[in-house]
Amino acid sequence: MRTRLLLLKMTLAACCLLALSGCWDNRDINHRSLPVIMGISRVDSKYKVFLMIPKSSQDGTQSMLVMRTGQTITEIVDEISSNMETRVDLLHLKVIVFERKYAEEGLTDSISSFMRSREISAKSMVAICDEDLEGFFHHLQDTSESEQMVLYNFFEKNAGWSPSVAVTRTWQIFRSIHSYTRDVAIPIIKSGTSTVIENVGAAIIRHGKMVGQITEDETLLLNAFGEQSAHGKIEVLNHASVLIVSNSMNHHVSMKDGIPHMRSQINLKVSILETRGDPSVDMIKDELDTLLTQRFNRMFKNIQQHEADILGVGQYFRTRIPRDKLAHWRTNYLPRMEMDLDVNTTIQNEGNLKTVKNESMN
Amino acid sequence: MDKSHQVVSVHLLIHIGLIFFIFPTNIIDSTRAAHWIPILLGFLVHWVLISVYTKGLSRFEGENLIDIYLRYGKPVAVIFLLPLFVYMFMVTSVTIRAYAETISLVFLSNTPLWAVMLLTLSISAFLTSLGVQVIFRTSVLMAFIFIPLITFVLCMAFQNVDWHYIFPLWSNDFSFLTDPDYLESSFAFFGGFMYLGFISTKVRYNRKKVIWGSLALFPFFLIAVYIPVLTFGEDTASKYHFPFIVAVDTIDITWLMFDRITIFFLLCTVTFVMLFTALTSWVITEILRRCIPKTFRTSYIVIGLTLLTFLAGINIPDWRDVDFLFGVNAWVRLYIYLTIPSSVYILGRVSRRKAAAAP
Repeated sequence: MRTRLLLLKMTLAACCLLALSGCWDNRDINHRSLPVIMGISRVDSKYKVFLMIPKSSQDGTQSMLVMRTGQTITEIVDEISSNMETRVDLLHLKVIVFERKYAEEGLTDSISSFMRSREISAKSMVAICDEDLEGFFHHLQDTSESEQMVLYNFFEKNAGWSPSVAVTRTWQIFRSIHSYTRDVAIPIIKSGTSTVIENVGAAIIRHGKMVGQITEDETLLLNAFGEQSAHGKIEVLNHASVLIVSNSMNHHVSMKDGIPHMRSQINLKVSILETRGDPSVDMIKDELDTLLTQRFNRMFKNIQQHEADILGVGQYFRTRIPRDKLAHWRTNYLPRMEMDLDVNTTIQNEGNLKTVKNESMN
Repeated sequence: MDKSHQVVSVHLLIHIGLIFFIFPTNIIDSTRAAHWIPILLGFLVHWVLISVYTKGLSRFEGENLIDIYLRYGKPVAVIFLLPLFVYMFMVTSVTIRAYAETISLVFLSNTPLWAVMLLTLSISAFLTSLGVQVIFRTSVLMAFIFIPLITFVLCMAFQNVDWHYIFPLWSNDFSFLTDPDYLESSFAFFGGFMYLGFISTKVRYNRKKVIWGSLALFPFFLIAVYIPVLTFGEDTASKYHFPFIVAVDTIDITWLMFDRITIFFLLCTVTFVMLFTALTSWVITEILRRCIPKTFRTSYIVIGLTLLTFLAGINIPDWRDVDFLFGVNAWVRLYIYLTIPSSVYILGRVSRRKAAAAP
């Protein structure tokens, strides 16, 4: 009797193993297509979706480009899915590329639906393409046979990312749409001539709409302002070119007669790479200071004009401005805001040569 | 033998299981700024209630809640225990349903709800049928396995935090006190410690240790609300059903081989919820066993109860109903958690005075 009971229990326990597979209607990995890049454009109130799906074959991975038009993005993905022999799964989507025209019309709906669906990761990166998406994707496919993750690696911090590329994720855009004080910049790319892609700068996004553009150099300052590393960026001056080794920011805010003031200090540590002529350390510092300050002021004017706070400076005034007034930060405060930028440069080293003279020592 | 550590670990785990899901939404919906005020207030109520409840219980050595009320007659027992019974039953079915929905939202979108519910329920029913000592021992094992993982996820969750969102730190708006959402948040604050009144005969514990141990929960309450608020800002965080889960979704760790650590976090906390439902249904069984003939086997009660819970859970059609039931539940909870601890405390004093008067 006891052995029989034990046997019964063991059979029951073994049956529990059946539940281990866990998933319902499970599809094996070879029956799934996992697109890495999705492109979205809008033509006459219809969406056009491009999917780049990596395919592994005997001669390495190759990518397949699928394209379709339809009313909604999900419908298109579903239709692509039903036309393919495998199921399209957006789980591993890494980069979403919007066409510039669509970005100018407004991304709010798309971004909200991405956040709503659990399928698309909230971490996926967003970029804007400055040319026709069809041409861009064909170019991407033609040139990227050897390395099909080009676009993803371009943004990846431990791969091809450079400090003058803005990195913006879906959730950050969603946050900016609903925030009083924070807008985002989305990187703008286009197909390059000698390299696969080319960084053009970043788009200023206000309430989910692209309203303006900043240049590649200004994006570097934007990243530095957001305390992202600007390491490895080379700045070319009249008399030298320097490599930024480290960067940090200090901010001071105050309110005077309802006008927000901000004094920011950017601390740069640089090392000298090349010199032209015989510049002194102070000269190089001065040149760098003027260059960055001018560039920053130009960008800040641009931002004020578009009433889009991509630097997130409004965040620093959360303690100074009451909440109900902060709701009008973009229109009432930002355009009148006064901003001072100090560039504090330390020349960490001069390379292997002792050529750079210090003025004070002469 | 003193088993306080087991009680403390059960106490922490089941509350952690309850904190990270519906609680952040409730708090974010109930107030617009200075979220720490409602959290601190709720936590103080939690703490005071536990102290009063265990103080009252400590006057009755070796008796559980049913014995205590039965001393004062059957009507007294019915007045206090019937609502408790109804509440406990409701809470298990709604919790199972809500968590099944969460699981299907986050990672099992193709699996039908009944399958998820059946699996979670059967595990918790199995735990219940093995008895309360097993539940408590399991909790220690779970704490060893899952707490490191949860700590890791919680530390990593600070990755996208913008500390400026913490301001304003003070708000004069106390309207959250009357907000139904705030009442619902009591589910996490004091949804799960009634079991303390039933275990005194089976698992001995030191009341002081449990009370002080429960203080460790406060950081979890804060983190659950402040991670989404600091990551997204108040306005955006209030757009989500499960703000904490989405905030965990934004964590990006390149060196980790897993793309989404949300699933790990969710699975850990779901096991804690199973512990919670197991313990709750054990309390229900305890009450039921007193009402029906002794010859009835406990395992039958557990099986019947599980089936009923399953049927109740399956008959809740959509999320709106879950929300509504949580609302109804909150009122019953308010009644129970105000009357039972205070009545036990008063009865304790009365009995002591009686004992002192008649030596």
